[in-house]
Amino acid sequence: MNSPVPFPDDLHVHPGPALLSGIAQGPSLPAHRTQYGVVPNVDTRTLTELVTAVGLRGRGGAAFPFAIKLGAVLERAGRTRRPVVVVNASEGEPASSKDTALALTRPHLVLDGAVAAAQALRANKVHVVLPGERPFAAAGLRRALAERDDPVEIVEHTAEPRFVAGQAKAVVELIEGRTNLPVTTWQPEAESGVGGRPTLLSNAETWAHVGLLVHVGATAYRRFGTSGEPGTALLSVTTPDAVPHVHEVEYGARMRDVLPPSVVGAPVLLGGFHGSWATWETVASLRVSVPGMRSLGVALGAGVVHAPGPDACPLAVTVRITDYLASQSARRCGPCLNGLPALALSLHRVLDGSGTRSRVEELASLVVRRGACAHPDGTVRLVRSLFAALPGEILAHAAGGCLAADRSRRLAS
Amino acid sequence: MSHQLRVDWPACKGRGLCHELLPEIVDLDEWGYPIVTGPITDDLRPDAASAVRACPRLALRIVD
Ligand code: SF4
Ligand code: SF4
Repeated sequence: MNSPVPFPDDLHVHPGPALLSGIAQGPSLPAHRTQYGVVPNVDTRTLTELVTAVGLRGRGGAAFPFAIKLGAVLERAGRTRRPVVVVNASEGEPASSKDTALALTRPHLVLDGAVAAAQALRANKVHVVLPGERPFAAAGLRRALAERDDPVEIVEHTAEPRFVAGQAKAVVELIEGRTNLPVTTWQPEAESGVGGRPTLLSNAETWAHVGLLVHVGATAYRRFGTSGEPGTALLSVTTPDAVPHVHEVEYGARMRDVLPPSVVGAPVLLGGFHGSWATWETVASLRVSVPGMRSLGVALGAGVVHAPGPDACPLAVTVRITDYLASQSARRCGPCLNGLPALALSLHRVLDGSGTRSRVEELASLVVRRGACAHPDGTVRLVRSLFAALPGEILAHAAGGCLAADRSRRLAS
Repeated sequence: MSHQLRVDWPACKGRGLCHELLPEIVDLDEWGYPIVTGPITDDLRPDAASAVRACPRLALRIVD
């Protein structure tokens, strides 16, 4: 099944203050070295201090503090074996384009971050996982890899074209030569990942921030953002009839500033297909912030902002996304393979007015936390957020109507 | 320290032998897969251990 938001074959990358500064000079290694110089040698103490000083969080969606992950890898590495570094650029979420943007404009910042960490950790290898459904992004990273001559071995892999292929445990499976699907693990990959080694696995954007930090230092990094949340984040913005736009924004910036006038007034899906719906009023008041958005019941996630516009019915959009997510289940875990199609069906029935919210909730509680990966949990987050944030849209369908039609009429007049 | 029963979901193929052996803390969902409803209390330790041994797919584990 095709994704309701297609995988991009083109995108618009806006220049930004930090990661995306100087992109007009192109992605080549000479241009990158002119801007930043060679990869500095850092030790694990300096690396830990840098990521702690700016409170760096993982950009793959969970916003987990990087320093804690690094600490877990260091502790295990000290006792056992040399660790492994993994750059996860698989970007299986169709509405996300930020790692694609980095692959096209800033591949060497990503790779510098991973190489600097690998040298600090005396890592055995760096694995780079390329996207399976974005050939132009994969080509960008391959070109960059071919230009480099690093003192550490870099191995590339290509993810399967599947939504859950980029999930951390699935990536470890891929690197180990098994099927690129999530499995049950009893230890986090930071303790026991690739080949049982402590594994520092992060998303491409996270590595770009590490790269920037080792090049410019914490003080320069902190020039952007707020004092509580320094730095910037990449946002992937999808709107009707436009190629995806990628913006680098400072923490604390207004979310609405990345949205075009054409989508003003309509609900927005924040955090992607595993994210949450927000009313326009919420979006209009929102600042880009991990804790700030959490306190409002939404999540920045991997920075995906999908604004289908006033003509789109959020219930219909959710039905299409849930159908797609059900088709992307790796079909290995019983509750996920049976429950997600049933959940999608129950939503179709709410859409056509023949079903109830209680059946949707019954199925949601049956699938949540009952799989090898967070795919069921993310799908449930999406579905529950629709009912929580946009109850009016649901009521309108129960009465045989649809608010999208009213909304586009009102905004047109 | 209370122990939990965890299911290796890709391994589990349903049908619910675990529910028969440990109905106190294992229900079945509408497709026949186990729903773990609570922690393994001390009096259930032996039954939980036999369920782990009996699972034909080796899909159960006792974790802290
Ligand atoms: S929970 Fe679903 S998507 Fe995740 S591994 Fe299991 S079957 Fe696959
Ligand atoms: S006995 Fe094992 S395979 Fe059967 S339902 Fe229970 S966990 Fe699944």
